[in-house]
Amino acid sequence: MSSVWLPCGDYHQNYVEDQGWWQSKFIKGKMILLLAIVFIGIPSLAVSPEGEYWVSVATMVGYTAMGALGVQLLIGFAGLLTLGHAAFIAVGAYTSTMLVLQFPWPQFIVDWGLAYPISIVAAGVAAGLWSVLFGLPSARVKGFYLILTTMGAQFITVDFVLTQYVSQIGGRGQAFSLPPGTIKIGPWVIESDVQIYYVMAVLLTLMVIVLANLIRSKPGRAWVAIRDNDIAAEALGINIVWYKLLSFFVAGFMAGVAGSFWVCNTAALSPEHFPWFLSLWLVGVILIGGVGSIQGAIFGSIFMVVIMELLQMAAIPIADYYPQVLFSFAYIKDMAFGLAICAFLIYEPNGLAYRWWQAKNYFNLWPFSY
Amino acid sequence: MSLTTGIMVGGIYALVALGWVLIYKCSGVLNLAMGELTLIGAYVTYTFHQMGVPFFFAVLLTLLVGIVLGVLTERIFLDKLIGEPVLTVIMVTVGLSFFFKGAAQFIWGADTRVFTPPVFSIKPLEVGFLLISPVYLWSFILAIVLLLVFVAFFKYTRWGLSMQATADDETAALSLGVSARFVYAAAWAIAFMSAGVGGALLGNINGINISVAYLGLLVLPAVVLGGLNSVPGAIVGGILIGLLQNFAGTYLDQFFPGGVKEIAPFVFMVIFLLFKPYGLWGWERIERV
Repeated sequence: MSSVWLPCGDYHQNYVEDQGWWQSKFIKGKMILLLAIVFIGIPSLAVSPEGEYWVSVATMVGYTAMGALGVQLLIGFAGLLTLGHAAFIAVGAYTSTMLVLQFPWPQFIVDWGLAYPISIVAAGVAAGLWSVLFGLPSARVKGFYLILTTMGAQFITVDFVLTQYVSQIGGRGQAFSLPPGTIKIGPWVIESDVQIYYVMAVLLTLMVIVLANLIRSKPGRAWVAIRDNDIAAEALGINIVWYKLLSFFVAGFMAGVAGSFWVCNTAALSPEHFPWFLSLWLVGVILIGGVGSIQGAIFGSIFMVVIMELLQMAAIPIADYYPQVLFSFAYIKDMAFGLAICAFLIYEPNGLAYRWWQAKNYFNLWPFSY
Repeated sequence: MSLTTGIMVGGIYALVALGWVLIYKCSGVLNLAMGELTLIGAYVTYTFHQMGVPFFFAVLLTLLVGIVLGVLTERIFLDKLIGEPVLTVIMVTVGLSFFFKGAAQFIWGADTRVFTPPVFSIKPLEVGFLLISPVYLWSFILAIVLLLVFVAFFKYTRWGLSMQATADDETAALSLGVSARFVYAAAWAIAFMSAGVGGALLGNINGINISVAYLGLLVLPAVVLGGLNSVPGAIVGGILIGLLQNFAGTYLDQFFPGGVKEIAPFVFMVIFLLFKPYGLWGWERIERV
């Protein structure tokens, strides 16, 4: 069954229609409207400083969503629990930085501003391969044993390899500074909030399209079969080791792209940007947004980032009366995040995406919803 | 020298690893909030100790607080999840770990707290020709004692058996009249208690701050090595990992300068999972469609 309930009187005649991108003209219109909002509406907020702030919040939403899409693929579609995704984002970020700063590019590539775009792809491949390395035990184990290996990936990558070795390259000590003007795409130097936002929007849109296409084709069906019952999937002739590793590669690739995007959003890159907290945060994002749907990752990111921003805004006026609130805001944030995960898992296990689906279908069939 | 240090540090690992194994054995759940429970245990003991209660009684009071907190946690959060997939429950423990970490730092702040006056003397004891710091010795002894108590508990008491039954197959246990609510409440109370004791001892080594919670995670390799549901396995795994860590620190540090000591257990764990995923003495589950 397709994932949308069509309006009364609309029927699918064949399988291709059933799996189609645009199931009706209305849906196509909605998607075009969404793209217009993302590419024209939000950047046009940036006329005022206040609006520019919200554009940067939108950029954070996009960064979170890019990371969360990979987690969604692993947990939501392939059923492979991961608690170390920040490691792969970090690998991507460092690959990208190293390539841009240290690699002896031919002059014409630097002139045409191709170094950063090439490094995005390279970062994706590097992070994907690194992720496959830690996905190898998934051939033997699953469930919480896999949690352990991915946690191992987090500590080995970020706390050891990156902190102790990669950060020492060039003798800078802890952080890589990215001087303004290093990140160039073609003729544009990426420095203002709006430009960063555009990079994010393009990458995120591409990632959503790629993931959606993977999900509705053969690999996607194989992943869902493995998630639902891996022994049955194997009996049906699906090469589960290959598809599990493929999902690790794709998720790692997405994390790598997210990481190399992070490079243009920051002035200095340090291992502290990728703590274990980020891995857990990404898992929390998809749990709240809804496991097993692409929208879920996006809704979760919007919800978490915007709620945290609002919490922070609320904390500032309260701090006039209780100054310690501002001081311990990080702890309140932790508590709120933890409670939100628990509450969603207990009371709303299908996440925000499910509510959205319900609302959509209610209006699709309105007023004759039977 | 690195042999004795390894065994003694391993004793501490074993103590914390026991908490993981217990809650897994009781409820089939991997409790990722274990580190934070240890942290809270350490802080509670510290608070009682600062109020002038002798250390031994402070630990006893911590056990009481642990029971209360454990039952409360179960009633508020986990009660509603009976019958849900195990992975949901694991993710709830992730949420709980954030909540506890935030709450502990909110109440006690982020500064390192040190037991004053120190509970154990800093002067090392001389056992034969070895020098052993008393804290390590005590935690080693405590780990062994707790091991015996818990093995007896699981083998010979009605509660222990019903807990194992629930962990093995919740539905079957429910249909045989085991009260899952009671089992889970008891499991969480036990986890809080063992974490409390572990935290009280750990707090005496380097003082109490958030790194105590990370140590709760660092013992995971020990748990995996011993097998997730084997109480003796936790002890042996803890000691082996302690040894491995110290040998790695002594012999590998010259080749890979930096934090080999902290990371060696995790490298070992990832490789170990590839070849022997159920640990030394864990139950090997045979899956059917």
